[in-house]
Amino acid sequence: LCRLTQVRWSRYNPSFLEPEVNKELYQKPWEELSEEEKEKLELKAVQPIKAAPPTVSSSVFSDPMISKFTNMMMKDGNKVLARSLMAQTLEAIKRKQLEKYHKAPEDEKETIECNPYVIFHQALKNCQPIIGLSSITKGGKTYQVPVPLKDNRKRFLAMKWLITECRENKNRRMLMPEKLSQELLQAFNNEGPIIKKKHVLHKMAEANRAYAHFRWW
Amino acid sequence: TLKLIYTTATVQRKNVGASGPEKYTEAFIKKQIEEFNLGKRHLANMMGEDPETFTQEDIDRAIAYLFPSGLFDKQARPMMKHPTQIFPEQRKIQWGEDGRPFHFLFYTGKQSYYALMHETYEKLLDVQKNQDQLTAQDLPPQKEKRNLAGSRWLTKIELEEMLLEKLSDDDYSRFIQLLQKLVTLPCCDITEKYIQKFSKEVPAQLQKVVIEPLKYDEQGVAFSTGEGTRKTARATAVVYDNGTGKITVNGIDVLHYFPVLQDREQLLFPFQFLDRVGKHDMVCTVSGGGRSAQAGAIRLASAKALRSFVTEKEVEFMRQAGLLTYDPRVKERKKPGQEGARRKFTWKKR
Repeated sequence: LCRLTQVRWSRYNPSFLEPEVNKELYQKPWEELSEEEKEKLELKAVQPIKAAPPTVSSSVFSDPMISKFTNMMMKDGNKVLARSLMAQTLEAIKRKQLEKYHKAPEDEKETIECNPYVIFHQALKNCQPIIGLSSITKGGKTYQVPVPLKDNRKRFLAMKWLITECRENKNRRMLMPEKLSQELLQAFNNEGPIIKKKHVLHKMAEANRAYAHFRWW
Repeated sequence: TLKLIYTTATVQRKNVGASGPEKYTEAFIKKQIEEFNLGKRHLANMMGEDPETFTQEDIDRAIAYLFPSGLFDKQARPMMKHPTQIFPEQRKIQWGEDGRPFHFLFYTGKQSYYALMHETYEKLLDVQKNQDQLTAQDLPPQKEKRNLAGSRWLTKIELEEMLLEKLSDDDYSRFIQLLQKLVTLPCCDITEKYIQKFSKEVPAQLQKVVIEPLKYDEQGVAFSTGEGTRKTARATAVVYDNGTGKITVNGIDVLHYFPVLQDREQLLFPFQFLDRVGKHDMVCTVSGGGRSAQAGAIRLASAKALRSFVTEKEVEFMRQAGLLTYDPRVKERKKPGQEGARRKFTWKKR
């Protein structure tokens, strides 16, 4: 019996396009747009567009990476708590960096980064693995084959490692924002347990290099 | 691949054309057509109209008058239509008396589909040859791009009806990819006609929404109203001009009504998008739904109200940012045999 109703369905018609919230794209004058963008605009003018989700806003403070991270940190749908933890983490990062800034001598003051958003993005980038392992069964045995990862998967792994690291390896009394800010600053300086985990994964992939030809995609 | 996610009534229609061998012979259909034409003339005589100029609409009106029926389903009421509309088109028998098939691709199983693919690829090669000839003669290549905005390709069901053959999703997506490749090359007139067979005009533009003009209250301050809904929340917002950016919800200040930062961000979203954060005052009433639903409803209501203050271009920008669309997502119902909408009961081996 073939299935007529699909399981993965959405309330929107498939012709609906994703909304574009970034204000700057709309303020560009007509002449500066390239041909592709003009075509895209023309297409968009005819197609209906989905409603913007409640987590997204055009203000400077809403960042897609930060909202994704907050959603991953959220437990049982408690978005209020997750958001407050995130805010406290960013505040803690800022405080630590400011302390360092005021203690440092004059010439080093410029190298210290105080913007918590920049630190967050850079730390995530440093944590992202480049290749991953995938288990492929061939001739009864399962081999761990090195495989290039997609951007989404890299970001997801970096965030997942960060969160599991903070939840498991902390002292009894330490709160999540403090531990997270510690880990983020360590990752920003390319040290710490998460960077170690990334290097371990890279080494495993290098060790299993012989099986790389098992990949067919 | 193109996967059909949003299911409509069209999916349930059976493709009778490709189902089996002929159920109606050609002679039978011819007889039906003759009977229909005779019946049409009789009906015209009965109604006192001219048999020569009796259209299908007249037939429908006549039948509805002579055989009134109170049945709810329109398909169940008596109807008189041309046999080609009642008996769906079917494939004739594909082989002759000696058992030899007519089409050379009969033994592939999907003869019309493969024939179509071959034809389209031939057109592609023709276009490429044409281009090469033009470059050989040092003429500049023609660059006329079709306007893709106003047309769409045939859906899988429409293509199946055209070919009278069952298609798989994969086949359909391959055909559409070929057509798209053909369209990207600078096309000549021949291919235009061929492509028009497989594309349909998208019906008239999205409904032009009428933007209400500004109203003026007693002190001469301009204001406009908007309504918005989200899940079960209903909101009405009145946006006043020359304001300081104060927002009042159900008589309570916004800071007290929405203690969460996310909701307040949503309320300010339309104003921030149009760079009018401190310029308008807002008074809203909202009922129903939860915290986030109420915030979403007010956001939609304020965006609709702001349309009257703003140029048409900015209204279009708001629409493309997703501020003016009603959010249709609601809680999915719980199904029997499952614990929730998607979660199944714990699987126990015994």
